[in-house]
Amino acid sequence: MTELRIEGLTKSYGPQAPRVLDGLDLTVPAGALAAVLGPSGCGKTTLLRIVAGFLRADAGSVTVAERVLSAPGVHLPPERRRIGTVPQEGALFPHLSVARNVAFGLTGVDRTERRRRTDEMLELVGLSGYGARMPHELSGGQQQRIALARALAPRPALVLLDEPFNALDSALRAGVRADVRTALRLSGATAVLVTHDQQEALSTADVVAVVREGRVAQCDTPEQVYRRPADPWVAGFVGDAVLLPATARAGGTAETALGVVPLAEEAGAGRGTVLLRPEQLELTEQASTSAHGTVTDVRFYGHDAMVTVTVEGLAEPVDIRAAGPVAVKPGERTGIRVNGEAVLHRPAVTDHAVK
Amino acid sequence: MRRSSVRRLAVPVIALGLLAPALAACSDEPADLVIYSGRNEDLVEPLLEKLEKELDANVEVRYGDSAELAAQILEEGDKTEAGLFFSQDAGALGALSKEGALTALPQPTLDKVEEAYRGGEGDWVGVSGRVRVLAYNPGKVPTPPDSVHQLTEPEWKGKIGFAPNNASFQAFVTGMRVLEGDDAAREWLKGFKANSPKTYESNTDILEAVDSGEVSAGLINHYYWYEKAAEEGEDKLTAKLHFLPGGDPGGLVNVAGVGLLKGADTKQADYAQQAADYLLGEEAQTYFAEETKEYPLAAGVAPADGLPALDSLEAPRINLGELDSLKETLAMLQEAGLV
Amino acid sequence: MGVSIGKDPGARPVPWLRPPGRVPWALALPAALAAAFALLPLVYLCVRALEQGPGHAWDIVTTERAAQLLGHSIALAAVVVTACLVLGISLAWLTTRTNLPWARGWAVLVTLPLAVPSYVAAFAWLSAVPELSGFTGSALSLTLVSFPYVHLPVAAALRRTDPAQEETARSLGLGTLRTFWRVTLPQLRPAAAGGAVLVALYVLSDFGAVSLMRYDTFTRGIYTSYRASFDRTPAAALSVVLVLLTVALVAAEARTRGRAGYARTGTGTARPADPTSLGKWRAPALGWCAAVSAAAVAFPLATLGYWLAVGNSATWDPARLTETATSTLGVAAAGAALTTVLALPIGVIAARHRGRTAHLLEQAAYAGHALPGITIALSLVFFAVRYAHPLYQELPLLVGAYAVLFLPVAVAATRAAVLQAPPVLEDVARSLGRGPWRVLREITVPLAAPGVAAGAALTFVVCMKELPATLLLRPTGMDTLATRLWTETGTASYAAAAPYAAALILLAAIPSYLLGRHRT
Repeated sequence: MTELRIEGLTKSYGPQAPRVLDGLDLTVPAGALAAVLGPSGCGKTTLLRIVAGFLRADAGSVTVAERVLSAPGVHLPPERRRIGTVPQEGALFPHLSVARNVAFGLTGVDRTERRRRTDEMLELVGLSGYGARMPHELSGGQQQRIALARALAPRPALVLLDEPFNALDSALRAGVRADVRTALRLSGATAVLVTHDQQEALSTADVVAVVREGRVAQCDTPEQVYRRPADPWVAGFVGDAVLLPATARAGGTAETALGVVPLAEEAGAGRGTVLLRPEQLELTEQASTSAHGTVTDVRFYGHDAMVTVTVEGLAEPVDIRAAGPVAVKPGERTGIRVNGEAVLHRPAVTDHAVK
Repeated sequence: MRRSSVRRLAVPVIALGLLAPALAACSDEPADLVIYSGRNEDLVEPLLEKLEKELDANVEVRYGDSAELAAQILEEGDKTEAGLFFSQDAGALGALSKEGALTALPQPTLDKVEEAYRGGEGDWVGVSGRVRVLAYNPGKVPTPPDSVHQLTEPEWKGKIGFAPNNASFQAFVTGMRVLEGDDAAREWLKGFKANSPKTYESNTDILEAVDSGEVSAGLINHYYWYEKAAEEGEDKLTAKLHFLPGGDPGGLVNVAGVGLLKGADTKQADYAQQAADYLLGEEAQTYFAEETKEYPLAAGVAPADGLPALDSLEAPRINLGELDSLKETLAMLQEAGLV
Repeated sequence: MGVSIGKDPGARPVPWLRPPGRVPWALALPAALAAAFALLPLVYLCVRALEQGPGHAWDIVTTERAAQLLGHSIALAAVVVTACLVLGISLAWLTTRTNLPWARGWAVLVTLPLAVPSYVAAFAWLSAVPELSGFTGSALSLTLVSFPYVHLPVAAALRRTDPAQEETARSLGLGTLRTFWRVTLPQLRPAAAGGAVLVALYVLSDFGAVSLMRYDTFTRGIYTSYRASFDRTPAAALSVVLVLLTVALVAAEARTRGRAGYARTGTGTARPADPTSLGKWRAPALGWCAAVSAAAVAFPLATLGYWLAVGNSATWDPARLTETATSTLGVAAAGAALTTVLALPIGVIAARHRGRTAHLLEQAAYAGHALPGITIALSLVFFAVRYAHPLYQELPLLVGAYAVLFLPVAVAATRAAVLQAPPVLEDVARSLGRGPWRVLREITVPLAAPGVAAGAALTFVVCMKELPATLLLRPTGMDTLATRLWTETGTASYAAAAPYAAALILLAAIPSYLLGRHRT
């Protein structure tokens, strides 16, 4: 239906400038909410602006619902793309009331329909009755929801959200995020959310595309991206990672400084790096395990705590997420147990190459 | 966004502004004669209204600076709007004549004034004369000098007023150059400057200064004194006039005059011709004598009471058409540091 | 000159900046038309200057005299610009950022000099202190009428800049003065530079003040050339030099502007700054404001009062005064309207686009601004009698002349106003189905409206004061306050002139007053 397909997108600002986008490919299934996740400067805003039609790509194509929007020799102007955008901070038109902001894209329909659709959109974002207000009379979160209502009102084929929750304080953020997700789901629109916040991407999106240096490093469900990152960089970017030099053995295990760990996939023999998440490690009695270390730091977060442990044979200490009460103190010796499966990456990298 | 008061005002003003030209453009009736007048509106408007009645035609007058109007006429070329150019001085008329922008006047019209007061090509004619004079304060100068050349002597240091930007003063210097040669004029300007004369913006200001004794004497046109005398009463004026005798360059007679424009259509040309004749006729000449206190040049009209007769003045003999070399005069004034 | 624009290899790409050279035709076309219109005088000047061969023109502009005049003009412009910067910035800071008593009143008062024609100011000073005649008097009177060109944009910029930066500087140990010098002033640079260019061009083109003060500038030389030699070639050749000087100035200004001056991107609007306490400087600050207001506003008005009181030429004709005032308001409004409309596309492009096209358009708008009014007027005479004869000596042509003369005033205001409207709003509107033209109409213009209106008000004031072009191009028989003033002072009828001068100043003071109160 409204599938977004991006192929080989390339862009640089000027002939000598480095490529901001470097042959980027991305497909978002119809009706899905995809997050484009990457560090600042990775090209994600440029990507968004090309999809929206504000910029022209140097090469590559953008197709929405089998309609080619950008391709060599093709550039549909933004107003003919049927793509809604929700910029940072909402960018409501300050000189128009909330209702007129929402109705802004409703051209070519009669007045009753326009009013009906405006009310419908305001209800969708939970702000019925706010139509007569001016944008500056709304809170930041409300402005953001109105911006979404405005983008959804003309029933766009695709909605683009550019770090829309950045300007909100953290207490508000989770709530607005959930509201936006619900509204998007109800509207059935395909959506792309650009963010540099891993948590936001993982918790909000159906699909997460991790972008690095103008290319998609990995595109998968949040769970897969987190548990089966394509490479150590992605692993480190989407969450805390424990990376250990390892030697894989036949039979789906790998030998590490923390002992032998099971691998998610049979990888064949050879050297490599295994990835574990801190919550896969557990503090135990020294006697019950072969892996030992010395606690150097304990950081308490409320719902859990992070314990840093130096392990003999490892250049870098490992982080261990402890769910319950922490019984150890810095300077004490502890045992370490590994739960679950690890992911093996080749070729081998030393653990300090990441971070 | 708050609506500012500027914006509230600006919107109707802009709307009005865009409409105004459209409204104004459709209110015209064509003029029978357009006069470009380098003479001041305050001075000649009543006369030109009489002219309109006399001609029984729709006469429109465009006032401006004589030189700028001359430039405008040259720019308009043969598409000029004007039929008649009424110039403040002979210089602008001479320039138009040189560029061939004026058409020859019929001999009977030319013959109404003395040859000295008309263009050499017969394409412009003076209608009124103004004389350069020395205004002096008898309390400070019991016997005024008979020549501007005496003004370069040390006894006059800091005692003379003049208006270097005034066209009449510049015409006087041009006259001196024509009469006595560039070197003599340069020498005079040098000596004059060395006497630190006081500069004023206008002849009126000079006369005020002479009257109050701020300066002992000043170089002006004659009619300023007569106008002031008429307005305030002759007995109230301390300043007196001295008409320089013996053909002294300081006694130059310059004229305001008219020329017919070549680019004018035949109907305008006919009215313009009639207008020129009217300005040389008795009514207009009397107006110049009585109202602007200038010298009438035609129709046997006598100058205003108290003015010496024009032919008694011993004014320098000069071809006024030669007064168009103002450029060199200005260069000389700049060189002398007077402007 | 020779500045390369549009490439800035060192800078990080800003995604929302339009790529160089890609200006939508809906904007480019009207902007190009407006620019072409503004360039008409230049075409004329080239025709006239080259009439007697390029060698002749070259000889004219390379004389010692021309060089001397140019030196005078540049020196005068430099001094006046410096003085205007000092006056404009100090007053703007005092009225926006300190606890100066009656700050808003002063802010309005120091805008009013805009309403005073330079020749009236010069006349007032000359009659009071004749010794001022020359450079000093010219510099003084021109400074006192043109410093609001700096004051207005700087005051607006001061209200906009984030006080948090100044507070940070204070907390890093900088005193009030050094904070101003090192943090505030650099941020004011684009605003001050824009104002300074307008002042410089105003000084270069001014004839009224310098002729009364008898200071020989380039423009006076051009007038003299018309008046003394009745020869248009030297005037045109000299005018071309002024155009080149203008282009150089505008290029230099564009350089100082750089990439600064963009819209605030932070959340919400800037918090108003806490006023700096003047302390023991309170009395001197008040004295400074009072002295400037007295010299620039009260003094010319008092001179007019004096004319009325002592003059004997008073012919009080209220009907004529009213009629003249009405036609002045009408024609100035028309001039402001046309200028604003023509400036709009150029201002938007100048604010939103980089690259050669954008830059050329802006330069074209400025090209004629340093030219004396008479040159602009004669060029329009030249074109109108040849190609638009029905318009000749009709209002539309006069209004057109105002647009050519004052386009930069409106362009500068529009550019500043558009820069303040976040461009992301335009993107959103595009993505909601609006074409570029409708985005301009529904988003950019309404958002920039207060600033554009302020520009229109400023243009309105300068149109009211305009004399040389009005004299040549007005419909025959029509008077404005400025032309009446010229007529009456021409016969030294100062008492008769006073009501027209007073009406001119008071009427022009209304938009000036609104400008002073206007908060950008």
